[in-house]
Amino acid sequence: MMEKKLRMTRSRWILAFFLVYASMAHAQGDDLQKNSAGYVPVISGGIGYVHNINGGITTLEPQINPVLLLPLGHHVLVESRTSFSGSFQREFQTHGPFTGKVFKSVDYAQADWLLNTHITATAGKYLLPFGLYNERLSPLWIRNLQDSPITSGIGTRTSGAGDGVMLRGMAIEHPSWTIQYSAYFSALSNVNQLQAARTAGGDVSIFLPQRRLEIGTSYQRFLQGKEINSEAVYASWQPHAAPLDLKVEFDQSYYGRGYWIEPAYMLSQVPKGQKFFQHLQVVARMEQFYLVHSGGSSIPGVDTQKFSFGMNYYLRDDTRLLASYGRQFSSQGNANVWNFGFTHRFLWPLWPGRKK
Amino acid sequence: MKIRISALLIMILAIGGALFSASKLVASDQASDKASNRPSDNTKTPPAKAPIDYQAEGDRIFTANCSRCHMAPMIISPRITGTVLMHMRVRARLSRHDEQILLKFMAP
Repeated sequence: MMEKKLRMTRSRWILAFFLVYASMAHAQGDDLQKNSAGYVPVISGGIGYVHNINGGITTLEPQINPVLLLPLGHHVLVESRTSFSGSFQREFQTHGPFTGKVFKSVDYAQADWLLNTHITATAGKYLLPFGLYNERLSPLWIRNLQDSPITSGIGTRTSGAGDGVMLRGMAIEHPSWTIQYSAYFSALSNVNQLQAARTAGGDVSIFLPQRRLEIGTSYQRFLQGKEINSEAVYASWQPHAAPLDLKVEFDQSYYGRGYWIEPAYMLSQVPKGQKFFQHLQVVARMEQFYLVHSGGSSIPGVDTQKFSFGMNYYLRDDTRLLASYGRQFSSQGNANVWNFGFTHRFLWPLWPGRKK
Repeated sequence: MKIRISALLIMILAIGGALFSASKLVASDQASDKASNRPSDNTKTPPAKAPIDYQAEGDRIFTANCSRCHMAPMIISPRITGTVLMHMRVRARLSRHDEQILLKFMAP
């Protein structure tokens, strides 16, 4: 009898704990899983036109970079970006009719398996995660200045992409800081549109969401021909107090080293003419490159410095007009670089959606 | 007697748990009220209206992460939100938790 009572008491205790934990879980998790998000295929990307004048030579540069996103369930994503960019110059550089051609390239074509917070496995042709620029800032609708930094060729040889596998994700998740990582291995490939070098490398960054500060470092070992190391250290900061976006990066490799610093400021705090100024962004970039050994690819053959200043006027969050001026200094000659144009980011479902 | 005591304990624990959950929901409501400068109205707002919490948290994650690279988009159709966030989870190395909060925020 006593034993029966004891068993009943124990089962009630278990029931009580279950009820308590169930109600706690309800309070914390609630219906987090429930939402109306759709998973239809998407075509996204950027389209734009840049009128470039470099050292007196005009180049017309229309571009379109469609990105295809094809989800297979909620854990596998196939994605690809193709680039169509025209380059048209006058036949005799400063006079004559414009002639040129359109270049087509597959920037990346990869399959992502989103295993969990800590691991996403990627296979295919992927953008090399080196520094801030190549993977994150290179799309024409994202970059604040249309010209790439001088050091963007460091750590991204030979095509800016790798063919192989990559693991990436959030290594540690904490309310006030997170650590992200990427690690990859790329095989040598000379297949048309899938060109890549034999490389291995990775990237680690710490992000402080409350301060909106990210500090990271990248490493790459080039494993064919002359085997060299490339390293980068970078920071990105968007303070709460001002509509400022500050990015800094230092890169070095066997061929050379350099840095760029790029502050961009939305003029939304100007007290007068708010209707106009809240859409206007001013941006500047200072960059210097120092040659160490000659013969590097995608980087200048001499010491080069450049200062650029630009303005972006956002007609909408996805469409902007742009204008920039830069002055480049090197022993090969100084030059003024002007850019005028527009960019637009598009984002369309490929067919009417099914909802989750 | 023992049975009554255990029944009483069960009730106390269940009520305690319910109060704990209710207090968490009220606190989150107040936090989101504070964030949106709205006066809190605990008597009229039942604790079950938890989505407000997701709004505040989603807004914070959205603003902090999007602005790391680009201008945050004003509108994304709920129809494509799941696909876009899968892409951003890969590119920005977001956590599964952040993705779920953002899904709730952008396509409630």
